[in-house]
Amino acid sequence: MSRPERVAVVAAGVTTPIGQDLDAFWSSLLTGASGISSIERFPVADLRVGRGGEIKKLTRIKRWDRVPDCRATRLLVSAADELIAQVPLGPATVEPSRLAVVVGTALGGVEEGERALAGEGPRRRLRGALYDSPGDNLTRWLGARGPALTVSTACASGATALGIGAEMLRQGQADLVVAGGYDILCRFVMRGFDALRSLTRDEVRPFDKRRSGLLLGEAAALVLLARETDAGRAPLGYLLGHASTGDGSHISAPDPEGRGLERAARLALAEAGVGPDDVDFVSAHGTATPLNDRIETAVLKRLLGPRAPSVPVNSIKATMGHTMGAAATLEAIMCLLAGRHGQIPPTRHLEVPDPECDLDYVPGTARAARPRLSLSTSLGFGGCNGALVLESA
Amino acid sequence: MSAAAGIPAPAVRAVGLCSGWGTGVAALPADACAAAGGRSLVGLGRPAVQGERFRRATRECLWALAAVEAMLEDGRAERAAIAGERTALLFVSAAVYGASNRAFIEGTGGGTHFAYTAPAVVPAEAAIEYRLRGPSVLFIGGAPAALRAIWYAATLLAARACDRALVLGVETFEECADLYARARRRTAPPLVEAAACLWLEPGDGRLVLQSARGRSRGDGARRLGEMLAVGPLAEVALRRHAGYSDPLADPLGLTGAWRGEVTNLIFTKGAG
Repeated sequence: MSRPERVAVVAAGVTTPIGQDLDAFWSSLLTGASGISSIERFPVADLRVGRGGEIKKLTRIKRWDRVPDCRATRLLVSAADELIAQVPLGPATVEPSRLAVVVGTALGGVEEGERALAGEGPRRRLRGALYDSPGDNLTRWLGARGPALTVSTACASGATALGIGAEMLRQGQADLVVAGGYDILCRFVMRGFDALRSLTRDEVRPFDKRRSGLLLGEAAALVLLARETDAGRAPLGYLLGHASTGDGSHISAPDPEGRGLERAARLALAEAGVGPDDVDFVSAHGTATPLNDRIETAVLKRLLGPRAPSVPVNSIKATMGHTMGAAATLEAIMCLLAGRHGQIPPTRHLEVPDPECDLDYVPGTARAARPRLSLSTSLGFGGCNGALVLESA
Repeated sequence: MSAAAGIPAPAVRAVGLCSGWGTGVAALPADACAAAGGRSLVGLGRPAVQGERFRRATRECLWALAAVEAMLEDGRAERAAIAGERTALLFVSAAVYGASNRAFIEGTGGGTHFAYTAPAVVPAEAAIEYRLRGPSVLFIGGAPAALRAIWYAATLLAARACDRALVLGVETFEECADLYARARRRTAPPLVEAAACLWLEPGDGRLVLQSARGRSRGDGARRLGEMLAVGPLAEVALRRHAGYSDPLADPLGLTGAWRGEVTNLIFTKGAG
């Protein structure tokens, strides 16, 4: 059987606490600018932790006339606006019925449900609480008339969405796919993680011996996917492989040995037609919870074998918090930008090594390196795991 | 219609169905509105599942387990037949998270309840119970999400990423009944709580997924009631019960509509 045609990442758009376009996002990752601040948009005084990666003001779009009053939708539209500034998606570029949209989310439109149940605004706001409402709003805003999907593999959703989008292209169900992930900071999710005592009062310190938990962030990240022959001359890179797996172990904690994550990584590499020895760089989930970072390290050691200590691994969650459904897409974009610019962003706040986390996590400052092949890993509630294999252009 | 290349079609090894109408296919009505007798919602109640592990589990999680159990019964198979990393689990739902999200928002769920607000936890309970450790994806939406999940199951089987794929769907409405009552037309078919699970294996023929913008006639909802993402799975159960050898194929394939998108899953005979 011949190998399927490669899927190119033609363009990308981001809305994050560290920048509302690719240039600002990339520059902040390299310089270590922080997107963490006190949360101002909703009350947090009763919570143990009231900080996170909050976007204070959406600056990219000035008029929201055509966009519902839904923050998740607006983050998505803002990211899409950057995307279409690079590749206009009008009828001249693509027949609308051949443009598909696949988004991943951990929370969907849950804040709309919070607001409606609190009696804020019209009751029709409840319709926006459905998990696929923000994705539907994005589809309408784009004028896409092809398949529109929402997937939810918790905090691995941004990886799953890219993988499903690529498969739709390989099977000819669309000619272009806008794919990615999003999630917002709202009281619902802050209360939840606060109750689980997952949030840190310290800095987020992935792989550091003193790591004590995560902070949440909000973001939207989208990529435009096309078959290689339709991608034009200067794509950002290629999505070679994807897998999403389930642990079947625990509803909220990862499998203690990371078996599901390892399976996802091996399946994604197999789909890409490459082996662990080909991996130049790993973008880890790296939440800075004691369990996650130890498990992820063990998985990477098993996967990469004797090469493991020499393969750079980073986590960008200290910079803007864990952006849940957006995280894996942002990290995939970061992998491709690292290849393009010849720099790997550092893992911030990693200062005291942990003997159980003994890989090269790119501490301190950005590393001059040009990874060709990257592996990006993600985990989420429900034992969800995601892995992407990306190749820089 | 947007064109789509075909992929090898899976065969249906077994189907489990639990619905507000009763256990299995035999309980399904010929006309949902008549059978509902004026009720706008036909509920499932809470299944009797034993075990300390399920003390905190939500009703929707328990129905996921019940659907898998019903599928094993239909396939006359033991749990060991589906356990392991060669079984994929694709979950579909439009609204299963409504109950747990509302409970958490209104403060009736408690802090530890938060994990259950993630839709991924519903299939996770089934994955833990039956040791399902292969590929796993959740498709959110109405009937097209189920068709998309069957398509993705076929894709995984064709790529040999798994040996069998389970497509599990759960829809519960009771806890948000007052909210649905405001949003739905009085003449609409009743909402029917349901959970179903398909066991798919490599089969013969080809499968094509097509989608277009438009409206569907909604025949399935008129007959079975509105089961959202579980609707197409219930249709497959009906066909299997009626003796069709290819329940995904006969008589004309499956259709589902949601948010202005009509999706067709079309089976053609021929080399897989």
